Amino acid sequence: MEVFFQALVNGMLRSGLYALTSIGLALSVGVLKIVNFAHGEFLMLGAYLGVFLFVFFGVDPLLSLPLAALALFALGAAVYRCTIRHVLGAPEINQMLLTFGISVFIQNMALILWTGDPRAINCVYRSVTLHLGGVNAGMGRFITFTIAFLMIVVLYLVLTRTRTGKAMRAVSQSRDGAGLVGIRVQKVYLYTFGLSAALAGMAGVMLSMVLYAQPAVGLEFTLKAFCIVVMAGLGNIGGVIWASLLLGVAESLVGTYLPHGSGWSEGVFFILILAVLVFRSRGVGQWFAQ
Amino acid sequence: MVRPVRSVLVFGSLAAGFLALAPLAVDPYLLHILILVLMSAVMALSWDLLVRTGQLSLAHAGFFGLGAYASALSCNLLGASWWMSFIAAGMAGGAAALALGIITLRLHGMYFAIATLAFAEVLRTVTLQAKFTGGAVGVTLPAIFGGNRVEAYYLVAVIFVLCLAVSLGLQKSRWGLAFQAIRARQAVAEVIGIDTVKTKLAAFVISSVFPSLMGAFYIHYVTYIIPYEAFSLNTSVSALVMSVFGGIYTTAGPVIGAVVLKILEEYLKSAIVYGYTVIYGLILALVILFMPNGLLGVIRRAAGSGRADQILRWFGGRKRAGVSD
Repeated sequence: MEVFFQALVNGMLRSGLYALTSIGLALSVGVLKIVNFAHGEFLMLGAYLGVFLFVFFGVDPLLSLPLAALALFALGAAVYRCTIRHVLGAPEINQMLLTFGISVFIQNMALILWTGDPRAINCVYRSVTLHLGGVNAGMGRFITFTIAFLMIVVLYLVLTRTRTGKAMRAVSQSRDGAGLVGIRVQKVYLYTFGLSAALAGMAGVMLSMVLYAQPAVGLEFTLKAFCIVVMAGLGNIGGVIWASLLLGVAESLVGTYLPHGSGWSEGVFFILILAVLVFRSRGVGQWFAQ
Repeated sequence: MVRPVRSVLVFGSLAAGFLALAPLAVDPYLLHILILVLMSAVMALSWDLLVRTGQLSLAHAGFFGLGAYASALSCNLLGASWWMSFIAAGMAGGAAALALGIITLRLHGMYFAIATLAFAEVLRTVTLQAKFTGGAVGVTLPAIFGGNRVEAYYLVAVIFVLCLAVSLGLQKSRWGLAFQAIRARQAVAEVIGIDTVKTKLAAFVISSVFPSLMGAFYIHYVTYIIPYEAFSLNTSVSALVMSVFGGIYTTAGPVIGAVVLKILEEYLKSAIVYGYTVIYGLILALVILFMPNGLLGVIRRAAGSGRADQILRWFGGRKRAGVSD
């Protein structure tokens, strides 16, 4: 039973990072209606930023968080302004190909510049373990979990209480309607994409604090974030929390109880995607019946 | 219509002559490059078959690896001969595409793209973890035709011609029109009586059999494969970038793209060992932004209504501007 609770806690702690990554993706998909395959690459860049700030300037990862958020906001806004903006009216396939191309470009650029060796922040949070009634939790993971959910609360407040946030929700409901009432849709898109990248960047810093930064790490997070967004339903920000918890706990349980489980747990997200899609496409039964 | 037909015949027989006689004229290294170029052309062209219905598949690497493993395991575990293992690979790819397609092709195109990307990644996880696949060590096979490169070349050339025929055949038939209708507006296609799900499913299955065959050919040709190489995302990336670069929704475009980019890639691989794929990402983003109809689109615009244009139009499908419809 103790093993079970430990697995449960591990899964929950893991889900914090997933939630923070997915919420950014849910935001950009929900408002811009564009699938951003480069989302995980923003996370990867944030992770490297955290590592470099720590290694060269000794900056504590918690202090790097706002810096990474600012840097990635600027990068996201620039990517939107220079590329995404020009395909808003193009066929969906062109939009997906564009973000996929950006993702491939950033990932391989990182591979050329920084090699494929994993790098990590070896700070104090890594080595401290908290003991809570027979269950252990790494300090770094605990901080990550807390900050992730704090950020989600902040985002919720931004979306419900500020003018910009309300404008984002209006645009996500109806682009034309929002334009008609005087909301500057282009500006909202720019802010949304920048904010989405900033959230991914913060998740990246925390990733390098609990795991490591590596060029290919973005793809894994893009896929898992998609899985969570698909589970939650497009544009459903609240659902992201439950979906993240589900993925994190499921991975942790598979990793604990299956032989060679840590390898198999990397496949859990695909089973979840398929399960959701089967559930969604109610026509599957009909197709067999024909 | 007479002149383009004659031009196509002349051009086609020249190309066929080149394909048939090339191994007699070039040295083994160039023949190896030619084999790689033909493989890329099959990958790019088969990827394009599905795109014609407006669906983005990121699973080409998955089918490539699936074909390689299905063929290698049917040889090693079941003692199949090489051609039987090719059939096994094609069937495995087709069956997997059918299953994945039934689940995802009913939904919005976005779900399909995500599910296909996940599919390729998960196949690698499974191959690394499962017992019978040899795990991270990979699989080995004896070289096909006793390592005779010329015979291997003819085998891949035959598959290439088959793929070319399928592509042209689909383009000129009712299927090609159905693909175009679905891509332009799915709801309208449904109204005029096209079974959109079945059409997309058929396109996906056909488009997935070819990369599986290429995977089977690759393992037989190179004799050795590991999961990280078999299911490498780069395989999907290069196939789709070659197609987009040449000009999607056409037959000539992906082939031209494969010839140009595969040769460029072989050169770049020696210059930048890791991360040469960066060039594919860059090309993909730039092409989508600045020339969404690819090289073929640029040539067509430049050629205006000249004769070259007619040939290209004949080779390249029914419409002049394919992407923006």
